[in-house]
Amino acid sequence: MLVAKPDCALLILGHGSTENPDSSQPSWDHADTIEKSGQFGSVHCAFWKEEPSFRQIWPMIEEREIYIVPNFISEGYFTRQVLPRELEIDGHTTVRDGRTIHYCDPVGIHSAMTGLLIKRAKEIIDDSVKLEDTTLIIVGHGTNLNKKSTEAITDQVEAIKASGEPFAQVLDAYMEEPPFIADWQTLTDSPNVVVVPFFIADALHSYQDIPVLLGIETEPTAAASQRDVFRQNPHRFGDRTLYYSSAIGTDPSLADVIVDQVSYFDEHYRS
Amino acid sequence: MTLAGELESHLPAGTSLVFGQLYLTRSDDGTFEACHLDDMGKKDSLSPIDSVIDLRELAKFDAGGEYRPLKTAPSLKGGWITRSSESPEFLKRLDAIYPAVFATWIAYANEEHHPTSLRRTLDRQTGMYRFAGTISDQLANRMMRELCHPGCIRKIAWPIDDMHPVSRLKAQPRAIPVICTEACTFAINAARALAKEAFEKANPPAATGATE
Repeated sequence: MLVAKPDCALLILGHGSTENPDSSQPSWDHADTIEKSGQFGSVHCAFWKEEPSFRQIWPMIEEREIYIVPNFISEGYFTRQVLPRELEIDGHTTVRDGRTIHYCDPVGIHSAMTGLLIKRAKEIIDDSVKLEDTTLIIVGHGTNLNKKSTEAITDQVEAIKASGEPFAQVLDAYMEEPPFIADWQTLTDSPNVVVVPFFIADALHSYQDIPVLLGIETEPTAAASQRDVFRQNPHRFGDRTLYYSSAIGTDPSLADVIVDQVSYFDEHYRS
Repeated sequence: MTLAGELESHLPAGTSLVFGQLYLTRSDDGTFEACHLDDMGKKDSLSPIDSVIDLRELAKFDAGGEYRPLKTAPSLKGGWITRSSESPEFLKRLDAIYPAVFATWIAYANEEHHPTSLRRTLDRQTGMYRFAGTISDQLANRMMRELCHPGCIRKIAWPIDDMHPVSRLKAQPRAIPVICTEACTFAINAARALAKEAFEKANPPAATGATE
């Protein structure tokens, strides 16, 4: 959905990384796409672990009305605590210092994510592979610190099952809590398995850590942007075939999802 | 005044400025130009970079190919030049290299943006960074001395605590100051590490093994 807000700024928030140069790239890519579309007066990014930081961003933004969209996968510690605290905002709309600041939902909980996950899974498997012989695993970080962090994944798994797509199974799995992605061979029994990382970027976790847990790398590789060739599918494990996709947040359609979260805000939260 | 307007007034036609590791000039016809300070005498041999995206990519790595998460680390690569006749576009290019740095100086100079003391920054932290708040003033000074000063070109504008304010920074002639109005993620991380080290030194784990 297109919006026309030439007097408003859009601020996209990302996690960023002090170690991996690819973590912030999807946020910049989506920001560049949206800026070119001319829907907002200006488009900015700010990060927790990179620059501009959440604390540095305000002097850069000249519009008086600002929509903030967290480019985060789930609602939880970051979107509920860290981002509002660092940006000094409270609730859906904050008015301060002559600015009206709207805080939208994170991209990961948008209803379009289900379709994007299915599309991504179908894109990477070979044409000859039947979905009925294929298990789809949506993999997330998982942490015992926050229950909400897995909810975004389990919600997607239920939505994909309900979509009627004929996958043999649709499962959730995590890096740091059960069911562990490292156990994919025992969690599944179909000949083909496709794993889609429910992450924002092809960075530390989805590009470097999870491939080791899956067994397609023996140790973490260099960052994706620092390698000549992105990983090749499929990977053979005896009579099993594994497909591993890039992170869902790198899909160019996420630019539309970000704008959609602004429209959703206007329709549901704006008084 | 808009930020682009501020940039125009800081850099009138026919003048030059130092901005961190950048040398900014504006020709008589009004065209803006930026290159590395070390390259100011060899502009003809520099490779032109004409987009924000390419400059963002340039600023991401140092000359040895190492990732630069801190954009004001003193390791900006040289060998390039960027030119634009439009101040809003030129400002975006500067922001690709030094995100928000020009805007921060303008807001600070206009007293619209106020530094945050280190104590307020650390006391706000939650999760694994909460412990950083236990750092002593002495260790905080060590952090600035050992981490901030060699590792970043920003001038610190924040005090350790609000009871001991620091002097306001002033612009040097023909320069745009590169200032730090709040401790960054690297400083918070270093504060946590130093605070933990001090705590562990003061509270050694009880000896469990047999002694001689």
